[in-house]
Amino acid sequence: MTNVEKLKDLVVEVFLVDPSEFHLGLRRDEVETWDSLGVVSFAVGVQETFGYHLTQEEALGVRSIGDVITILEHHGISFREE
Amino acid sequence: MKSEVETYSVWASASVRKLAGQRWQGRPVSSPEETLGDCPGLVAVGGGRMMDQAKYFRARRRPGMRLVLVPSIWGSGAECSPIVVLNRGGSKHIENDAAFLPDDVIYWPELLQSVPPERARQACGDVWSHALEAFLSPLSSDEIQSQLASLLGELLRLPLMADARWFDVSARACQLQARSSVGLVHGIAHVLEAPITSQYPSDNWGHAKLCSVFLWPVMELNRQNSSKWSDCCAQYKVDDSAVSSVLAELHAREAYRQTLPLLKEHWSRILRDPCTRTNGTLVRQQAVSFFEGWVNR
Repeated sequence: MTNVEKLKDLVVEVFLVDPSEFHLGLRRDEVETWDSLGVVSFAVGVQETFGYHLTQEEALGVRSIGDVITILEHHGISFREE
Repeated sequence: MKSEVETYSVWASASVRKLAGQRWQGRPVSSPEETLGDCPGLVAVGGGRMMDQAKYFRARRRPGMRLVLVPSIWGSGAECSPIVVLNRGGSKHIENDAAFLPDDVIYWPELLQSVPPERARQACGDVWSHALEAFLSPLSSDEIQSQLASLLGELLRLPLMADARWFDVSARACQLQARSSVGLVHGIAHVLEAPITSQYPSDNWGHAKLCSVFLWPVMELNRQNSSKWSDCCAQYKVDDSAVSSVLAELHAREAYRQTLPLLKEHWSRILRDPCTRTNGTLVRQQAVSFFEGWVNR
């Protein structure tokens, strides 16, 4: 499974969205369940899936899937090979 | 001359009404709404649901009235929590407000004589659920986890039966979970409480029983999901195997089996419950099959 596929799976699980709704430009304000509790469970899922613990500032500052990818790539988790 | 508390209304659950009436001579009421407008205070004697109702009524309808809470059983820790959980239209409504805290709390160990052994064991499960879910909570700080680890050590030394020491540990577990969160056990309990009590009215289902029955499988799911539980046990020196033994003791296989059709039916609501969403590990949609498989262990 590629990292993009892992991220898609995570977003579907955490935010309970249909897989067809996922795209790399998806924004927080487009997902009803990406609220303050969603931020918490998404951070838990990122830790379990990618082994990176989002700081509180990072978790709260994420506004889109692109932001998550930027943070993870900054910590050596690549999405480019895909 | 009457002491001030003798002018308070007294609201007590049926099982302890006689004892409460002997101790407080104030006007008995059958709901907080029956307190008169000029009543200076209310003494509420009962379990978590009653205490939450009394807290909510005082804070929202009579903010000038004094409130004295007397828990008839441990477990909820409602007497020392700024959180209220109310039943509204078959679902749970949760509010957190310092105005819900009572003016006084009285622990009355004699009330334990009225607690049946099975109910006592389930109340212990309620305390364990608060402590373990808060310990694993993604919102727990190092300081909270450290305090919870110490509390877990105390819980391991207590018998799963009526014992006045449970009041204190229950209150502390509740205060610590109010500063972090609970998780899937509470998500399941909040969603299933109404349908299961409706379907099996004579089986004494309630919050504490649901917590007791689901705590072991949920903790095993957490263990399967990630290394967080093992890591936390190692970091804070919690005896993992001793905890597992207690959870197995709290579990009731036949009662668990009874819940499964409802668990499956309400699973999507459970996933959306605020408590589930602050579980220590990610609760995936397919986890319902873990619970179905658990029954064959």
